[in-house]
Amino acid sequence: MRRKHGFWIGFVSVFRGLGVTLLNLVGRRKVTVQYPLERPKVSPRYRGLFYLPFDEEAGRLKCVGCTLCAQACPTKVISMKKLGSGKHAGVSEFTMDLGRCMFCNLCIEACPFDAIHMGPEYELASYNRNASVFTIVDLAPGGAEAVRRNNATIEAAIKAENETGGSERKGHIAEVKLVVPPKTGGQEA
Amino acid sequence: MAGSEAAQVRLEPDGGMTVNLGPQPPSTHGVLRLMVQLDGEYVRSCEPVIGYLHRGLERMFEARPYRQLVPFTDRLDYLASLNCNLAMSQAIERLGSVAVPERAQYIRVILCELNRLASHLVFFGTFAQDVGATTAFLYAFRERERILDLLEAMTGARLTYNWIRPGGVPADLPEGFAEGVLSFVRDLLKELPLYDRLLTNNPIFRMRTEGVGVISRDVAVAFGASGPVARGSGLSYDIRKTEPYEVYDRLDFDVPVYDEGDCMARYRVRMDEMCQSARILEQCFRDLPEGDIATKMPKVFRPPAGDAYSRTESPRGELSVYMRSDGSPNPQRVHVRAPSFVHLSMLPCLLRGVKLADVIAILGSLDTVLGEVDR
Repeated sequence: MRRKHGFWIGFVSVFRGLGVTLLNLVGRRKVTVQYPLERPKVSPRYRGLFYLPFDEEAGRLKCVGCTLCAQACPTKVISMKKLGSGKHAGVSEFTMDLGRCMFCNLCIEACPFDAIHMGPEYELASYNRNASVFTIVDLAPGGAEAVRRNNATIEAAIKAENETGGSERKGHIAEVKLVVPPKTGGQEA
Repeated sequence: MAGSEAAQVRLEPDGGMTVNLGPQPPSTHGVLRLMVQLDGEYVRSCEPVIGYLHRGLERMFEARPYRQLVPFTDRLDYLASLNCNLAMSQAIERLGSVAVPERAQYIRVILCELNRLASHLVFFGTFAQDVGATTAFLYAFRERERILDLLEAMTGARLTYNWIRPGGVPADLPEGFAEGVLSFVRDLLKELPLYDRLLTNNPIFRMRTEGVGVISRDVAVAFGASGPVARGSGLSYDIRKTEPYEVYDRLDFDVPVYDEGDCMARYRVRMDEMCQSARILEQCFRDLPEGDIATKMPKVFRPPAGDAYSRTESPRGELSVYMRSDGSPNPQRVHVRAPSFVHLSMLPCLLRGVKLADVIAILGSLDTVLGEVDR
């Protein structure tokens, strides 16, 4: 008797469960995205591939090479070469090893010049470890041309300042050197 | 195969059998390895082997200044990373006696409860799949996708959010966020009865979970179980009630408790908690005050020498962070009390004498996350 009862409960439950399936089959709109063919639209705050905004008016990248982002980074992703100094300072090289990057947003919050951003690009996988190292040419919108204009603008500005009587020391093109992010702790983990 | 360490199955001289579950099968939810000694179909003993996901996070905390610690906590409990962010941020705030603005506290609670819903939905789907029901997984992940979209609009990330910082939250709610959450909550509350029809009342699911893996109240207390595991064993213990943090003391919600202590009780606790999280979210948006979203923290944060302990209720249980400062910019010692680790330590005791098929059901009902166990 009990066995028979259990059979009927099980039998009915199959159709109760299938009822939910049916409800979803006919009553719902599709939620899946056929990924390589359709691309999901990401939110405006999306944390994807970095870019260095280009200031069209000034004709140069916004970055002044202050290394605050490199200091804020927990995994030391960022290294840069400074170009010039003083009020015309900029960068000639800006390298990010995204193989180490956590996409944590701390560098972007640290920047006082709004000069580093994260864009909507999310397909960053590669077959090669070196492909995750992004140089200034990859990060600047406009690529090599933007970097060339950036360097030219800064060098011209420094030259102009030197000619209009700025002291030698103040306006010279600084020795190009790699700025190593400072050590954050005693022994590194 | 006999005698080889690496073999998946080893025959013992006394007729028993050692089965090596893991570290890669999907049913152990991460990289957990279980060495199960079998006598026929029954488990004689079981030894969990952990450490496959060890990254030395506690050591890495010590080598970094306070402001850089939070992104690493995303990698603890990756299904509920905002709850981990909160535990770490609270510890830092207590160390430096930093007050958090009220609006930031509400936003934190909203984010944590959304993350709790997402985590419990993953539990619902994967636990159903562990005991052989496939469809529930797809439904749970469909709902979770909406939470991830909301959190993406808020934080910009879909899994490792890093959006609760010492001092507050880095940005305010985006436009349309409240409406999005509230409409999601309404839909979820309509959806949960369907889940009951689909899964909870299914006789096969009940036979697989009722009376399986019973944890008595005393055993739960002795092992230090917390969260849904403790509440499934009749222990009314929720940090949000016993030691309220943020604005939980102002919110009205119940703590679901079941006395049976079996897999079904733990499952029911989590399903009921989803309703309570929905209630909390509605109240938060009703009461959300205007104001600042963060207290400004100094660039180099040097808290006075001392220690701090922050206890939070993560979806898995009591997640606590102990932090000691010696006055320098880096913490001297950080310890994370991970609920999954505690629950995993109950496993050898729980699995003695059960059938091999129930091992997966019991492990699934504990809802461990290995990122938190190994750290």
